[in-house]
Amino acid sequence: METKNITLHQLQNWMQGMLIKGSPSTDDRKVIEAVVNHSQRLSAMRHLNIYRSSYIARLRACLQNQFIALAYALGNDLFESFADQYLDSCPSESYTLNTLGEKLPAFLEQTRPDADLEQKESWPDFIIELAGFEYALSEIFDEQAAGDFTILTPDTPDNLLKVTPVLHLFSHHFPICQYYLDFLQHKEPELPFPEESYCAVSRRDYKLGLFVIRRAQYYFLKSMQEGRSVKKSMKYLAKNFEFKIEDLEKIWPEWKRNFITSGFLCV
Amino acid sequence: MIKKRDQYLKIINALPNPGLGLGLRSKHFNYILEHNPAVDWFEVISENFMDSGGRPRHILRQIAEKYPVVMHGVSLSIGSTDPLNMEYLGKLKTLAAEVKPLWISDHLCWTGVNNLNTHDLLPVLLNEESLKHICSRIRMAQDFMDRPLVFENPSTYLTFKQSTIPEWEFLKYMAEETGCGLLLDVNNVYVSAFNNDFDPVHYINHLPHNRIVQMHIAGHQHCGDYIIDTHDRNVVQDVWKLFTQAWQLTGGVATLLEWDSNIPDFDEYHTELLKAKQYMSVMTGYNMDTEKLEYSSDAVSNPVDFLVNDFKW
Ligand SMILES: [Fe+2]
Repeated sequence: METKNITLHQLQNWMQGMLIKGSPSTDDRKVIEAVVNHSQRLSAMRHLNIYRSSYIARLRACLQNQFIALAYALGNDLFESFADQYLDSCPSESYTLNTLGEKLPAFLEQTRPDADLEQKESWPDFIIELAGFEYALSEIFDEQAAGDFTILTPDTPDNLLKVTPVLHLFSHHFPICQYYLDFLQHKEPELPFPEESYCAVSRRDYKLGLFVIRRAQYYFLKSMQEGRSVKKSMKYLAKNFEFKIEDLEKIWPEWKRNFITSGFLCV
Repeated sequence: MIKKRDQYLKIINALPNPGLGLGLRSKHFNYILEHNPAVDWFEVISENFMDSGGRPRHILRQIAEKYPVVMHGVSLSIGSTDPLNMEYLGKLKTLAAEVKPLWISDHLCWTGVNNLNTHDLLPVLLNEESLKHICSRIRMAQDFMDRPLVFENPSTYLTFKQSTIPEWEFLKYMAEETGCGLLLDVNNVYVSAFNNDFDPVHYINHLPHNRIVQMHIAGHQHCGDYIIDTHDRNVVQDVWKLFTQAWQLTGGVATLLEWDSNIPDFDEYHTELLKAKQYMSVMTGYNMDTEKLEYSSDAVSNPVDFLVNDFKW
């Protein structure tokens, strides 16, 4: 780079490159000395290095905050190496750090170690699902939604019931929600085996609630989310899945009670 | 242009001094709402609230009803050669309409170019070309926001060979040209002065004191041959000394203690802030106790509350 009459834009472009890319080459070092002053105690290189190391450390720490369970599941070293690769290929384009991890699940999918192999390993699937779930939680925490809903009682007629707009349903190939809850309760969960799992995330008084639910409950609530009433959702489940309408009707009062206390329903 | 500048200047000169303030941190949300502590005002990091439709925004609404609030940003990137981010400014304006801050501040820095964001407060080139560039962007941002903005001296860890104007002079010209206000971070002056071999006392003496509407004080980490602005501990005596000097020269302005990592309980945070009272006068300010300097080499500069949402269960 010509350093004599360097423009403002060239200077910023150059400095940003120095922060974002890996170690400076010998040529880079010459430029650094031509652009940056040395001081009594530090060389130009060491001055620049303060920014270089802060850049990566800050963003790594930020990802670690956003993906606490993922960082636990991978272990610190592996998480750090994933984070560094991610930041290298997807540097932040936003004014906010809240979306820094937005592309991490997709990045993990694209760079899975067994991408070219026919026989896939299962742990990358778990890691990808966990990353997606954690990012979703951070979005739900801050999503725009009306604050209060009418408090329901088990006496509220079924035909008035709807699912709340802040209810989010997830289906996973691993017990992701359980793993996450165990992690939060310091139970130090081990990498789980594949197992279909379902969960619901609600937000009440701006706080998140995580609930492991059953398959039937998942499809039932999904159906209500699609706009069907309680009665129609039962019929829908009986028609499209292996559930029997008599069983659903029998278990409904218990579901209703649980759904209401968990903040899934409103009128 | 001159008319606008004079209008902004008038507004800056008429800003109140709300007293001693603290940064609003999510760790203290519940405490503040339950105890209504006797803090004069709160400073909020604009980016932590501007996109929030959840708890942070909900809490801020309640706090803004009870306390004066100042909005402090980290993403305006006034020094960048990219165009101003109008989406960002739009959200800043919306938040300001809701929170009604006493003023809105950001830093004399750039955070990225080519649509990337390093999320760091990077040092600007201090020469005439850069001054012109920055002043024109301050005018645009102020006109869009329909109010003067306030700019803070950042902690810097390097200087450019092409720089020709001392930072204090650059800030003075900036204020003269645009009518903007200044936020003097005395800890940043101390940190930058140590890292780049200038005299912090001289720097503070030469600022345009009538344009300073606010001060920051904070703790930093000494790493031996350089200092990192970590905002993670108590304020050191040398910074309190500079605070006393700045307090005398400005006649006393709104002062805020920044604490962004290893954040203590609210009471401890507030107690550290209230120490400022004893350093407002030279007479009471010099009962210096000796300090133990601790060196460490793994510090990360933490110029602002960079945390992503931490939700509590
Ligand atoms: Fe500051």
